[in-house]
Amino acid sequence: MTVPTVEPSDETLAAHAAAGDTSAFETIVTRYQARVFRLACRLTSETDASDVLQETFLQIYRHLPSFRGDSQFGTWVYRIAVNAALMHRRAARRRPADSLEMFLPQFDGDGTHAATPAELRVVSQADEQLDREAVAAKARDAIARLPDIYRDAFVLRDLEEMPTARVAQMLGVDPAAVRQRVHRARLMLRGYLSHLLGEKR
Amino acid sequence: MTRVVCESGVELLIDYLEGVLPADVNAALEAHVAGCERCAAFVASYQATPRILRDATTMTLPPDIEASLRAFLRARTDAFQN
Repeated sequence: MTVPTVEPSDETLAAHAAAGDTSAFETIVTRYQARVFRLACRLTSETDASDVLQETFLQIYRHLPSFRGDSQFGTWVYRIAVNAALMHRRAARRRPADSLEMFLPQFDGDGTHAATPAELRVVSQADEQLDREAVAAKARDAIARLPDIYRDAFVLRDLEEMPTARVAQMLGVDPAAVRQRVHRARLMLRGYLSHLLGEKR
Repeated sequence: MTRVVCESGVELLIDYLEGVLPADVNAALEAHVAGCERCAAFVASYQATPRILRDATTMTLPPDIEASLRAFLRARTDAFQN
């Protein structure tokens, strides 16, 4: 007779790891490494993501004994990863990026969209593009060109798909501010994609 | 009655999609978009944007970076010693 193996919960692993069980910590690393790496790429760059990944798990190892279980373990891990990424970015001193402001939507004097429906629709037809990898590479570059406060909110809300309230908590601002920042990021990125995919401006 | 044009409608979009608009503003926005081909096209592309960026940034962890992580933790913690 085979006994079905039940994967231990994050919280169980965290308790064991905090008590000095290194194999429990190793399982935590294996479980979260890909997600932390992806988040680090989105908040920093593929070049910097490796450092952020290492720093995150070192912090987790050191602070596990103080994890109280009053937040979900996954949220706690994310918070450490976000902090590590933001610290890294601050230390790295970014080169000034070309602004994406020019890609904000344009309106006529009476507040009507200046572009035609066909032009405005282009981004929603991106899947029909032949060269999707080229578009993807430029899209990654565009995220890095967003002003930091828009980028952070957009990455957490739209790319990591966290609820607005949790993003607000993590960034220390209110939900209305998160929505405003995510909105600005979406407008700039939509316009940028639109430009890439051929909307005439 | 709230009057919505394309420009003011765009500024309401995220609150609309997150369901936090007051009912009258919500109705005014829906009425405008229903009668405006440009806004319908804009909303479709606005909603497509996060998905495109998400797909473009779904990186997988390269084996060499995973190996460096383990070497790093082996040197600084009691984990990954075997």
